[in-house]
Amino acid sequence: MSAAPAIRVEHRFAASAERVFDAWLDPVWIGRFMFGPHLRDEQVVSLENDPRIGGQFHYKVTRAGAEIDHTGTYREIDRPRRLVFTWGVDEEQGDQSVVTIMIEPEGDGCVLALTHALHPNWAEYAERTQAGWTKIVGDLAAALNQAN
Amino acid sequence: MKAVALDHTMLALADPTRRAILQRLGSGEARVTELAAPFAMSLNAVSKHIRVLERAELVQRRRAGREHILSLNPKPLDEAAAWIDEQRRFWTANLDALERALADYED
Repeated sequence: MSAAPAIRVEHRFAASAERVFDAWLDPVWIGRFMFGPHLRDEQVVSLENDPRIGGQFHYKVTRAGAEIDHTGTYREIDRPRRLVFTWGVDEEQGDQSVVTIMIEPEGDGCVLALTHALHPNWAEYAERTQAGWTKIVGDLAAALNQAN
Repeated sequence: MKAVALDHTMLALADPTRRAILQRLGSGEARVTELAAPFAMSLNAVSKHIRVLERAELVQRRRAGREHILSLNPKPLDEAAAWIDEQRRFWTANLDALERALADYED
């Protein structure tokens, strides 16, 4: 178990690992599950990607009148098991965090584990800690708010 | 939350001594010497930790005569927690939406 500063979410899918993997690289599918007014209060401006290692994506939406460009660079593309890309929002210095998606076939479907490492530079500091970041921040915030 | 502020917060939290200092300050303000007492390290070493916490604006310093009194500012911690929650909600919502879309668009 890594102590990297990361958010981790898991999801089991009835669909095959290949279908789930391909959805992450197809702008049509990005518009179905990542961005759009059916997901949150936003309008899609454009969804563009260049799905090869070193290629970039730009997913632009408007929220509350402001345009937001979710952008990053593909680092690893290993269909259907592993996809790694940097992830950032234009106003926050872009490529600062890394998303790793691992997909394991299971029965007729698959299990997807997504890890969002919040900042690659934090990893070296996180090695000194035993617990995950979400827990550290959450516990401390709760403890300190209780104390106040 | 700005990425730089988040960096400072997370860096400040990435050390057990600094987290212990924050927890101590959670029960009330303290002098630097009081904060240093429980730790088996020099006052100078503790001061370095405090400066990291000050840079992250987790700790505020005021002077009372010759004393430096430190107090906690939990706001950056709340902001970091909120930012992490927001990221988690974003990905969780997307994975739920992917499951629905896969069901809606059978090959």
